[in-house]
Amino acid sequence: MRIVTLTMVVGISMLSQTVRERDAEWTVPARQASKTNPLAGRTGVEAGGNKLFHERCSACHGEDARGTDRGPSLTTRKVQSQSDGSLFWKISSGNTRTGMPTFSFLPELQRWQLVVHLRAQARGKAPLP
Amino acid sequence: MFSFRLCVLTALLIPLTILPALAQERAYFVTYDHYLEERGNLEIAFATTTGVPKKGDRVYTAPWLEIEYGVTGWWTAELYLEGVTTRGDGNAFTGWRFENRFRPFRNEHRINPVLYVEYESLNEATRIQKEIVGAGRVHFEPIAELRREQAHELEGKLILSSVVGPWNLSENFVFEKNLSASEGVEFGYSVGAARSLGTLASGRSCRFCAENFVVGVEAYGGLGSTVAFEGAEQRHYVAPVVGWHVADRTTFKASAGFGLTENSDRYLLRFGFSYELPTRRGR
Repeated sequence: MRIVTLTMVVGISMLSQTVRERDAEWTVPARQASKTNPLAGRTGVEAGGNKLFHERCSACHGEDARGTDRGPSLTTRKVQSQSDGSLFWKISSGNTRTGMPTFSFLPELQRWQLVVHLRAQARGKAPLP
Repeated sequence: MFSFRLCVLTALLIPLTILPALAQERAYFVTYDHYLEERGNLEIAFATTTGVPKKGDRVYTAPWLEIEYGVTGWWTAELYLEGVTTRGDGNAFTGWRFENRFRPFRNEHRINPVLYVEYESLNEATRIQKEIVGAGRVHFEPIAELRREQAHELEGKLILSSVVGPWNLSENFVFEKNLSASEGVEFGYSVGAARSLGTLASGRSCRFCAENFVVGVEAYGGLGSTVAFEGAEQRHYVAPVVGWHVADRTTFKASAGFGLTENSDRYLLRFGFSYELPTRRGR
């Protein structure tokens, strides 16, 4: 029993130190990438996105979305050059290999609000939380 | 009854005292969906099951503590410590459980499978009913007698979970083997459907906005064993559930289960409170 417990503890410790790299194979299906944001151009929705980002994303990506040791910056050209549909899909789907959680439990419009906020954040127009 | 009231009061008051701190609003108590704990996050939860039996047996309350850790993005480990208290029959520690959930696929699909493996070291006084397998009533002999009967069990679950529009639909198939007795393999199930009450998030901070609530229903029960199906002896419940995202990292949930068969308790009332701690942070 002790050996089993010890093995479990060591195994958990080792796996918890898995590499926090981006997953180069994390590709968005074409149909998802071409989706348009139903909230694009709509006023008053970014504040909700800001609140959601603060609650759901900032622990890993930072309050300013410029990244922490738990998650990459979302203001880089590599991220911002992606379509709204791609960002929405990545937020919804998550990636178990990189540790990006699945946010499909949030209502669809709230995930689109997060995309609106990410765009505003990159433009430096997002209000402070 | 005092202990039960104390548990309910604690469960109701604690959320109001917590400062805003990312919990996933899982409203289910028995059914699992495909959302795992975030990597590096530690969640501490306290919950109770209060059973109101049908046949004049004593009302009982079974509290449990859950410590859940996101080991990786695809693996969540969880430790349970559980007990029981019955009016006029005392209290007892009923054992511990160590569970692991593994999500094999990288992305979300129409149906998301999760594999669940749990080891349980319990005594027969256990009544938290986090899963129901096999057939027969909960044991109502004196707790002092029941706690002398130890059981080591291995449990597996196939968890399937989908997002359909605003709804989460989850189905769990349960297999349990008592390693301490020859009871064959016992089977059980649980299914659930839940959704958020909100659509758009408001820009202001609020505790009672619709977006902070998840409602749903779950059904669970035992399906006999490889030894006997025992349809008439099984326990089945249906339970409306509600989850309240009190603050950034804090969730409160409640459920009222209604027994559907002769061997089911009349009601199973459950309350739960969870708080999520990030264990790594910073640039």
